[in-house]
Amino acid sequence: MSLEAPEPATQADVGVTDDGLDYDALEALLGDAVVDRETHLNAEAFVVRPDRVVDALGVLKNKAGFDHLSCVTAQEYEDRYESIYHLKKFDDPTQEVSVVVPTSVHDPTSQSAESVFRTADWHEREAYDLVGIEYEDHPDLRRILLPETWQGHPLRLDADQEQPQVVPLREHANPLQEDHPGGSDTMFLNIGPHHPATHGVLHLKTTLNGEQVADVESDIGYLHRCEEQMCQQGTYRHQIMPYPDRWDYISAGMLNEWAYARAAEDLADLEVPEYAQVIRTMSAELCRIASHLLALGTFALDIYGDFTAIFMYSIRDREVVQDILEDLTGQRLMFNYFRLGGVAWDLPEPREQFFEKTRDFLDELPSRLEEYHNLVTGNEVLQLRCVDTGVIEPEVAKNYGCTGPVARGSGIDYDLRRDDPYGYYEELDWDVITEDGCDNFSRLLVRLREVEESGKIIDQCLNLLEEWPEDERTIQSNVPRTIKPDPDTEIYRAVEGAKGELGIYIRSDGTDKPGRFKIRSPCFSNLQSLPEMAEGEYIPDLIAALGSLDIVLGEVDR
Amino acid sequence: MTISETLAGALGLGAVNPLEDFVLSLVGAALVGTFILLNTAVAGPWAKRKITAAFTDRIAVNRIGPFGLLIIVADAVRMLSKELVIPEGVDRPAFDLAPLVLVASALLGFAVVPMGNGIQLADPTVGLAFLFAVASIASVALVMAGYASNNKYSMLGGLRAVAQNVAYEIPLVVTAMSVVLFTGTLQTSEIVAAQTETLLQLGALSIPSWYAFVNPFAFVLFLAANMAEVGRNPFDTPEAPTEIVAGFQTEYSSVYFVLAYLGEFIHIFLGGAILATVFLGGPAGPVLPGFVWFTIKIWAFFLFTQWCRSAIPRVRVDQVIEIGWKGMLVLSFANLLLTAVIVGVIV
Repeated sequence: MSLEAPEPATQADVGVTDDGLDYDALEALLGDAVVDRETHLNAEAFVVRPDRVVDALGVLKNKAGFDHLSCVTAQEYEDRYESIYHLKKFDDPTQEVSVVVPTSVHDPTSQSAESVFRTADWHEREAYDLVGIEYEDHPDLRRILLPETWQGHPLRLDADQEQPQVVPLREHANPLQEDHPGGSDTMFLNIGPHHPATHGVLHLKTTLNGEQVADVESDIGYLHRCEEQMCQQGTYRHQIMPYPDRWDYISAGMLNEWAYARAAEDLADLEVPEYAQVIRTMSAELCRIASHLLALGTFALDIYGDFTAIFMYSIRDREVVQDILEDLTGQRLMFNYFRLGGVAWDLPEPREQFFEKTRDFLDELPSRLEEYHNLVTGNEVLQLRCVDTGVIEPEVAKNYGCTGPVARGSGIDYDLRRDDPYGYYEELDWDVITEDGCDNFSRLLVRLREVEESGKIIDQCLNLLEEWPEDERTIQSNVPRTIKPDPDTEIYRAVEGAKGELGIYIRSDGTDKPGRFKIRSPCFSNLQSLPEMAEGEYIPDLIAALGSLDIVLGEVDR
Repeated sequence: MTISETLAGALGLGAVNPLEDFVLSLVGAALVGTFILLNTAVAGPWAKRKITAAFTDRIAVNRIGPFGLLIIVADAVRMLSKELVIPEGVDRPAFDLAPLVLVASALLGFAVVPMGNGIQLADPTVGLAFLFAVASIASVALVMAGYASNNKYSMLGGLRAVAQNVAYEIPLVVTAMSVVLFTGTLQTSEIVAAQTETLLQLGALSIPSWYAFVNPFAFVLFLAANMAEVGRNPFDTPEAPTEIVAGFQTEYSSVYFVLAYLGEFIHIFLGGAILATVFLGGPAGPVLPGFVWFTIKIWAFFLFTQWCRSAIPRVRVDQVIEIGWKGMLVLSFANLLLTAVIVGVIV
């Protein structure tokens, strides 16, 4: 940074006061772009004219320091369409503001935010795909989750679910046709949807220049299971909680459940007993360890190219965590352990046995991690492959809305567990891990070191749980049988999932089911940044970058 | 002593006429070929699994037969009974020939390898040159497979294979030449014979003058180049499953796949055989018969490739080429020069 660079701190302070944000100051900053104000439970929302979106977001980003477009929610009301841009600051995610852009039913068109936030590209494509809002000046407004040939927009109020959607193959363009343009030095290569290194059904449309990646475009949606719509059809109390397990299904189930639990509890104003919070914190961190270990194993698989000792070792250690989680929840994959207002049941009896088993794992953990460091991060050939490949600069990462280990591997000190505390994290002693390398190696290192921190958190939780007085072990607060939040209450809440910021937006419509349920998937935003990492590098680096992003297609496609 | 003489001696025929020599050589070739294929059969479906499993804390095949050995039969039946899919648009007959050439080139190499106990099919004066020439025909097969498959992954794999083989063939041959400087002959039997003397006597332990001990630097270079030559980790870029699916063999199924797979394993054994002949005294060794020692040595190299496979990450394709041209080539020529000077001055 040069000395002449303007001091950004003063700009980011607009409207910041000791007791929260002064939204009036922000509104004054936005001027006549704002036509109205709404109050969401998480933050104030400015209603902005559809033709002033770029202005408003640009001012909020550049003048007020809201540099993180966390999520874009689109929804249809009886009389209008609405796009909501959920903004935060990477420095302090508790400072939030939403920009609501209403458009008319007849012409749902508003300005695209892509020129301000790169991450809006995919988010707006999703909004167009599912809700049918058009974005002006969007660089590439195509469907993203559904096939190109899909008829209609499934999240519209009048969407006809009976409409047949089987599209005969002849209506597709011949994918080989544009493949042979002639006279070009590049080669088009389909990597996936079935390929050994795509970690699920991901399709990378790659243009190669020799062995180098000239262009790569992710084609997602193969695993789209209408999770948002299914959640909108379930009741708050019990019917939604099983779904989060199915988003990031790589053993991060409890972290996902917490995202829904946090949003719904804040929406319905439910208390969670402290004892349950400790159990939640412990189980979530166990999930994080399991998830990171699998990420390590599969990353090694991508680099080594074979089932090696590292993969087996990480699976072996993950297995121990899975056993502990099974003891706790009764499940190994789809835990369904969280409840609104607490957890499903207390620790398994006999408690001593559970504590002992978990402690044994924690005692083993440092030596195991040392083994991994010897095997993986200390390996010079691996360093040759990973250091300085798949580089994403912090500013670029922020622009793409990268979070989690991907952002922290680029030196962005952003972790919702610390910055927007929930659960019991605030009371515990642990650190947020960042690495400044911005490359594949840093992301790997961040995950490995985070396992260590998670171990510290679990250890403290175990101590707390062990000493908790027997008559105060309340696992659930009193929650009404039917939860019916006030109509038109809106909330956006996020937790730190295994892959990054997992956010849930819920708008209640006065019934016991959400009016709109939107999932902000960290993998979705992280995957969008893949071209930045891979372009100009070799195919093996593309594979390594993809592996280091640690995406789960179940969460990308939802 | 070639195999026809050995067989004639065993059968008590004495002096043989050319026709008998021809027949005996054919029989000998069949025996050698069967032996190599037998090794491959054990290595491919069984030993490879067992070795990798041992490296990664697993057990691997143990259900069929003693130590799971019958998996070899089960695998053979399975692979051969699969449908042979030949994709539209492949370039025949190149597509069909490639697996055959791959296997044939590797098997041909064993013709001049002295395996001990008088087992050597032929002993031409240009033995070592023949060995390298034949072994590198495999590159042609890889290009054929990559090009003829009409598949982009195959194409990439084929191109990588050529780039890699060209880059590593030269250091391989140049390093072997440094040994030829010592022996003064290309005849494989002579090279082996030159390694029988004792280099050092440490009490009861006598260290033979194997070129691995005489010129350890060349040995290490040769070993590394050999790994690239047989396309194993860290130089398995032509196949690179996580990057280009299976490289040149992506489109091969059933019998063709078996042949391609077989060819690779025979190549590993041939790589081991060359290594044994040039650097490890061929079939030489104490107590056990030479043939057994030869088998142990080629298996040792096989084990080494599997070890690397389980332990070393794959190097990126540009790094492979860089190591080859900028590192190995320079080092191998330096080694050659140095050896030439030493041989010229001292010997």
